Amino acid sequence: MELYDKIRILADAAKYDVSCSSSGSNRENKNGGIGNASFYGICHSWSDDGRCISLLKILFTNICIYNCSYCVNRCSNDIERALFTPDELADLTINFYRRNYIEGLFLSSAVYKSPDYTMELLIKTVKKLREDYNFNGYIHLKAIPGADINLIRLAGLYADRMSVNIELPSEKSLKLLAPQKTKESIIKPMSFIHNQLLEKSDSKKLMRYSDKFVPAGQTTQLIIGATPESDRTILKLSENLYKLYSLKRVYYSAYIPVSNGNNISGVTSPPLLREHRLYQADWLLRYYNFTADELLNEKNPNFNISLDPKVDWALKNLSLFPVEVNTADYNTLLRVPGIGVRTAKRIISARKASSLSYDSLKKLGVVLKRAKYFITCNGKYYGGCEIETNKIKNKLLPKSNVLEGQLSIFDSFYKTENNLPIIV
Amino acid sequence: MVNYIFDGTFDGLMTVIYVSYYNHQVPNDILSENSYQKNFLGDDIYISTDINKSNKVQNAIKNKISKEALKNIYYVYLSELESSYMLIYKYVRLGFKIGRKINYFLQNDIVNDVIKLSQRINHEAYKMIELIRFKEIKNGLFYAKIHPDYNVLPLIVPHFAERFQDQYFVIHDVKRNLSAVYDKKSWIITDISPENTLITKEEEDFENLWKIYHKNISIEERKNLRLQRQHMPKKYWDILIEKQ
Ligand code: SF4
Repeated sequence: MELYDKIRILADAAKYDVSCSSSGSNRENKNGGIGNASFYGICHSWSDDGRCISLLKILFTNICIYNCSYCVNRCSNDIERALFTPDELADLTINFYRRNYIEGLFLSSAVYKSPDYTMELLIKTVKKLREDYNFNGYIHLKAIPGADINLIRLAGLYADRMSVNIELPSEKSLKLLAPQKTKESIIKPMSFIHNQLLEKSDSKKLMRYSDKFVPAGQTTQLIIGATPESDRTILKLSENLYKLYSLKRVYYSAYIPVSNGNNISGVTSPPLLREHRLYQADWLLRYYNFTADELLNEKNPNFNISLDPKVDWALKNLSLFPVEVNTADYNTLLRVPGIGVRTAKRIISARKASSLSYDSLKKLGVVLKRAKYFITCNGKYYGGCEIETNKIKNKLLPKSNVLEGQLSIFDSFYKTENNLPIIV
Repeated sequence: MVNYIFDGTFDGLMTVIYVSYYNHQVPNDILSENSYQKNFLGDDIYISTDINKSNKVQNAIKNKISKEALKNIYYVYLSELESSYMLIYKYVRLGFKIGRKINYFLQNDIVNDVIKLSQRINHEAYKMIELIRFKEIKNGLFYAKIHPDYNVLPLIVPHFAERFQDQYFVIHDVKRNLSAVYDKKSWIITDISPENTLITKEEEDFENLWKIYHKNISIEERKNLRLQRQHMPKKYWDILIEKQ
């Protein structure tokens, strides 16, 4: 089979994995070799769907012995199949890298023959890159659920980052849609990687040198909308993953109906807006010190689709507002809608020079359209209406023309919402 | 009313600042000789570049203001905007008055302009690091073409020299006709560029493989060309294989 066809088929099969980042690793170029990793990550292109392309994200093969209902590659699906050799893939990576198309490789795979056999193929590929080509660029490897822990350990020595995809937010859904995978086969490698990282950071203190084991940590992915879990269930799960396994990122992937899989029916289009709200909320967990319980509760288990989670939270907690921009501390500023991490820092530093006027806030990059309802500036309030939930909400709700532009997204959201009780 | 004319180099600009400081003479304008047309109204003084004086000014900026300030100044200089020279002059004067804290004065228009402009240059340099595409034009020699709005070439070469230590490369700014040449040890920027940049059959194959990859990694149901253009502005498309 031609290389062209392999790339066409195996890129296509890899596209549903949303993780793409090349950040978190400081790997240096050694001994005049090729490549290094940038801690902040670099994107090199954007695909037609607007998503960043940073790594050569590809499957080693899409020939799978499993039959997960949500997946295009499941064995019962009648599609074109392909398989790389480690040489082909290593060679392709190097050549794309030399041309500055990519930051490195994100290698994942269907389960070919057995989890161990597949893991060994992935290891062969990256070993070749690191040892034969002296490649020091970024490598993200997927840990194949069910693979031997010793193989995972070995893989971790070559990779910058590893991920084990949870895919479904509850054990019940997993049983139903991916019966060959068990919760254990996912959690075990995840906790192993976590423990290994803890161990390495301990031994680093003792020894001057220790092997780098996945220096950029681990991530995972959850599919949104294929099963009936609420936003709250999903966000709580993420919160725990950050706490218990120190995951670097949880990725959310709006479920795209990939064909007539069993047990998933009626999902017609991907719940993109819901995915977007979850990313916003996830951001609030990681950078703004929010907890999942502050954002959602049992009475309101799903996000308001027309307001972003921070505005929504602020409106429900109006008693905490308005805050005075000239005196509020960093953490308080961070909770104001329209003020992000960067602007909060700029406010703190500009305040040292002189007190801030309402006009100067714009210069500092504050999105006043939202912020003005939640702040005072030298004691003066600029919202122009009473500080009252419904009044502010009315001003902040998207106007109808905005809604029209996004109608397709809202549309799909409602459809999926209606279709949620498909699995009981 | 004096105008200072200099040779357009960074050292030249720093020399101007030195001279004006010791002459206690605030310039009406600072112009580079390329764009200068004789003005009959004011006095025009040509300042010849003096590396010693330039170094003194740069050290003074580093010590009395900050390294960050010197970086901002260099970036603003690379904007090549005629107005940038006076802006730099005013920023330095203000910096000598206020010192280390200058960048807190975000409400001051001079400081704000400098920081915003410096960020624009920085942003374009970063875009180039993302979007540059090398082609192998001779066995082992890689060539890339760019035409940035600002003169960011000096800012991006170190990144590639570090990354592609085992690779000969040339990055050619076609707008300014400047080339950065790296020979596996060090790099220089010159106005000599390779004559033949035609590509081989093998190179064409890799370009096609990349195009196929690019097309197939996209999810049809999520198509969003507007978002794509936000990150990959159209003005750079001619250097992007995947957009040809
Ligand atoms: S194991 Fe399941 S999710 Fe993974 S490729 Fe096979 S069918 Fe798809």
